Amino acid sequence: MIDIAGILMENISYVLLITLGGMLISFSVHFVPVGGAPAAMAQATGIGTGTVQLAAGAGLTGLVTAGTVMQVSDNPPLIIAAGAVGAMIMISVTMIVGTWVYVYGVGVPPASAKVKYDPITKDRQDLYVSQGTEGHGLPTVSYVSGVIGGLLGGGGGALVYYSLMSAGMDTGMAMANLVGLASIFAVGIFFVNAVIPSYNIGGTIEGFHDPKFKKWPKAVFSSLIATFMCALVAVLTIGGL
Amino acid sequence: MEPLIGMGVLALMGAAATVAGASEDLESDVGSQSNPNSQVQLAPQMMYPHRIYNKAISGEPPSNALMCAVGGTVATVLMSAYNMSPVFAIAMGALLAAIVHGTYSVTAFFGRPTSQKRFKQPVYLDILWSHTPVIMGYSYITTFCILVISYLMVAVLGHPFPLPLLAFIWGIAIGAVGSSTGDVHYGAEREFQSVEFGAGLNAANSGNIVRKGESGLRNGFDNSWFCAKFGGPVTGIAFGMVVFLSGWVTTVFDPARGDAIGWLSVIAGALLVLIMILWNRKIEVAARAAYGPYKEDEVAA
Repeated sequence: MIDIAGILMENISYVLLITLGGMLISFSVHFVPVGGAPAAMAQATGIGTGTVQLAAGAGLTGLVTAGTVMQVSDNPPLIIAAGAVGAMIMISVTMIVGTWVYVYGVGVPPASAKVKYDPITKDRQDLYVSQGTEGHGLPTVSYVSGVIGGLLGGGGGALVYYSLMSAGMDTGMAMANLVGLASIFAVGIFFVNAVIPSYNIGGTIEGFHDPKFKKWPKAVFSSLIATFMCALVAVLTIGGL
Repeated sequence: MEPLIGMGVLALMGAAATVAGASEDLESDVGSQSNPNSQVQLAPQMMYPHRIYNKAISGEPPSNALMCAVGGTVATVLMSAYNMSPVFAIAMGALLAAIVHGTYSVTAFFGRPTSQKRFKQPVYLDILWSHTPVIMGYSYITTFCILVISYLMVAVLGHPFPLPLLAFIWGIAIGAVGSSTGDVHYGAEREFQSVEFGAGLNAANSGNIVRKGESGLRNGFDNSWFCAKFGGPVTGIAFGMVVFLSGWVTTVFDPARGDAIGWLSVIAGALLVLIMILWNRKIEVAARAAYGPYKEDEVAA
């Protein structure tokens, strides 16, 4: 028989860390400037893809970097920072190339329709929004917001992976199996927490200056509950094997 | 590992990623997938029937992740259970993934236009016969390159994740990059070449996609030909940069040589991000100066 209470009590700190990681991911998604289908037609500010897709793409790239570092280091802040940097690089590259396409391929200057002045550069925005659109491209404020999203999402994903790996270290499981199981759970928990905020975002968000950003506490609270349940299952599975 | 060998492998991975990125974007152009396909789907409802291959199996990241995970699983089984050579196993994995993708493309193609019968959208069988092999060809190249990247990471760089999972993750990432960059060239420019260059799509023009080609009626090949000049290559550069730069920081500043070096890799990554933020700002300023405002300031006027 598996000693469920014993395993949970032994790993309670990891359950809490996984929950914290999930909440970080959920919070991070609100920073990622996505415009969904309208942005792909230069009809809305942000990147022309879905919320979950981009957040997951960036966060999972961070997970790959965190996996590389965790193999050779047991320093938690370094592992989490590596995950954050991997995700930041992915999202920054995607956004800079997105800017090339908007500026050189479509011929539109980056402009936000949600604010009159860019909060960072103080540039006027509304005059540069072309007719019949809700803005286009990635003004500096959205770009910086996306980088912050990558930082938090990658860091959160790496924290989840680190906690899952640590929970399974003493079980005597073969390393390859542990890594496989922990990484699959980390990817799953990432997706759960990337989907929850999309109900707040509803397809498009420009970044932290967007009025929709203020709704983040609801998503983070939902993620707290969802990730806690996921963490219980994950820790029981990994710790009980 | 010798840093030089690490850098060489990384360069190879970057090159494979660049090819994968370009083929991923062109696959989504010739078959019309992802967000720009919303306009292809909308066109018949606005009374603009067309000859463009209409498939949107799912968002690009899940569909590419499926392809790459199928290919990665087949390759791993062939390598570990049957001791096949990696090149053969990866080629077979990519082939099976391309067949699976082709199957989804056909069912998606039949599903979408037939649901628009009431808007008089025909189902062109010649489009199906001619485009599907091309879609499968592009998906083969994408999957093959992703599997090469994943295999090199596992076998040479010693990454702990299993090959199918790495292939899955890179599949998600390549789909996210492709739908964020190259697809904008297809959606915002190619589909709406009839409107003036230098503006986003006016909501009033939604669904009014260009249906006439350079010769005859426009189809997916024409779109792929146009996007191969800009959208495809930049997607390749983007994904190549993601794979190369995210690996570069930990190869040059290898955390195995101590935590201090590990922190240097973090600082190097953060510096790269800072450079890109400044670069984006420079492009933004140049674009605002070059294209100018669309309307005059009412207060000033």
